[in-house]
Amino acid sequence: MDINVMKEMFPVLLKGCLITMELTIISVVFGSLIGMVTAMLKLSKNKLLVNLAGFYTWLFRGTPMLLQLFVFYYGFPYAGIEFSAFQTALIGLSLNSGAYMAEIIRGGILSVDKGQFEACKSLGFTYLATMKRVVLPQTFKIIIPSVGNEFITMLKDTSLVSTIAMVEVMRTAQLLYASSFRPLEVFFMTACLYLLMTTIFTTVFSYYEKKLSVY
Amino acid sequence: MYMIETKNLTKSFGSLTVFENLNVTVKKGEVLVIIGPSGSGKSTFLRCLNHLEIPNKGEVFIEGEKLNTKNRKHMRNTIEKVGMVFQNFNLFHHMTVMQNVIEAPITVKHEPREEVIKRAKVIIEKVGLIEKVDDYPSKLSGGQKQRVAIARSLAMRPDIMLFDEPTSSLDPELVGEVLGVMKDLAKEGMTMVVVTHEMGFAKDVADRVIFMDGGKIVEEGMPDEFFSNPKEERTKMFLNKVL
Repeated sequence: MDINVMKEMFPVLLKGCLITMELTIISVVFGSLIGMVTAMLKLSKNKLLVNLAGFYTWLFRGTPMLLQLFVFYYGFPYAGIEFSAFQTALIGLSLNSGAYMAEIIRGGILSVDKGQFEACKSLGFTYLATMKRVVLPQTFKIIIPSVGNEFITMLKDTSLVSTIAMVEVMRTAQLLYASSFRPLEVFFMTACLYLLMTTIFTTVFSYYEKKLSVY
Repeated sequence: MYMIETKNLTKSFGSLTVFENLNVTVKKGEVLVIIGPSGSGKSTFLRCLNHLEIPNKGEVFIEGEKLNTKNRKHMRNTIEKVGMVFQNFNLFHHMTVMQNVIEAPITVKHEPREEVIKRAKVIIEKVGLIEKVDDYPSKLSGGQKQRVAIARSLAMRPDIMLFDEPTSSLDPELVGEVLGVMKDLAKEGMTMVVVTHEMGFAKDVADRVIFMDGGKIVEEGMPDEFFSNPKEERTKMFLNKVL
C-alpha cells in the first residue's frame, strides 16, 4: 500500500463520509418519527389505521431497499413524480428506517408495564399525555440498544444509494478506485472510515444507555 | 348524596362472572373496608369504581356523576376526584419522587408548577419522605414506594381514595408505615375504600366492613360487631382462618 496515494485520497473520502453521516442522521431521525406514529397507529383500536400501518411495514420490510430506491428514482419519473438523487435517498432511507423503527418502538411500548397505563388512567391522563409523559420516555430506555443497532445498519445501508448517483463515501471509493486503480488503498481506507463512523455512533449510544440507567 | 354509589354493577370476563348486581354506597368521610378470599371479586369491584375495569352492566356514580364510557372527557374529570393506590405501586419509574408527585396536577390539571411543588413538599413531608424527594423509585423500599404512590394520588386533591391491597406486596416489617399513613388520612376525614387482608386495620379504622365471597356480598357491618359476632357461617369460617 502506498501511503502517499492514501494521503491524497483521504480528503476526498472524508467528504463522502460527511454525506454518509448526513444521510444516516436525517433518515434515522425521520425514520424514528415515522416509526413512532406507525407504532402508535398499530396499537390503536381503529382497524383501518392498524391495517394501513401494517401495510406500510409489510411493504417496506418485505422488499429490498435497493429495489425501493430504484422505484423512487427510476420508476416514479415515469409517473410524473421526480425527485433529485438526494431527495430520493432521504425518502427511501427514511421510509425504510421508519418501517423497522415502527416495530422496535411497538415492541418497546408493549413491554412497558401495564400498571403505568393504569396509574395514568386513574390520575385522569388523556391517552396522548400518557404516551408523551410516561410511556414513550420509558420506551426510549428499553429500545436504546435496538435503536443503536438500527443506526449502524442504516449507516451501512446508505451505501446502497451509491447506485442512484448519490456520491457518499462508498460511491466516492468506487470512483477513486476506477480512476486510480488502487483498490487496496481505497477500500482499506473506506473500511476504516466506516468503522470510525460506527464507533462514534456506538459510543454515543452507550453513553445514553448509561445515562438512562439511573432509574 | 353518596360519594360512591353502584347500581346493579356486574362484571364478567368471557363466560366467567366475577360479580353480579352489586349495590354499594359510600358516604362522605366513610372508610369502607372490603375483605374476602382471593378470587372473591373484591379487587375487580374496586377497579370498576374508577373504570379501570369497565363493568358489563350497571352503573357507578361518583359524587352523583354517572361514569359514562361514551363521554371520555367527563369521565376523566370525574375520575380525577378518585385517587387510586395499587398493590404494585405503579410509580413512574423514570421520574424522581418529586416528579412523580407533581406530574398529574401539572399535566392533567395544568396547575402552575411552583404552586404544585409547594403543595407536593407538604404532602411528601406528611408521608415522611422529604429526604427522598430527588430519589428514583428504584432506590426506595416497598413501603417508601407505596407512601410515594399515596402522595402522588393526594397531590390531585381527591375526594375519594381507593386502595387495592396496598400492603400485599410489602415485607411484613414495612406494612406498618403504609397503614400509618392510611390511618392518618382516615382521621382527616378522607372517604376511603380499602381492599385488604389486614384485619387489624379493618378493625381499627373501618367504619364499615364488607365481606365478599364468590362475587357476592356475604356480610356487611360495623367492624366491632362484624369481627366479634359474625352472622354468616361463611364469614365465621373465613375469620377463623385469618385471625
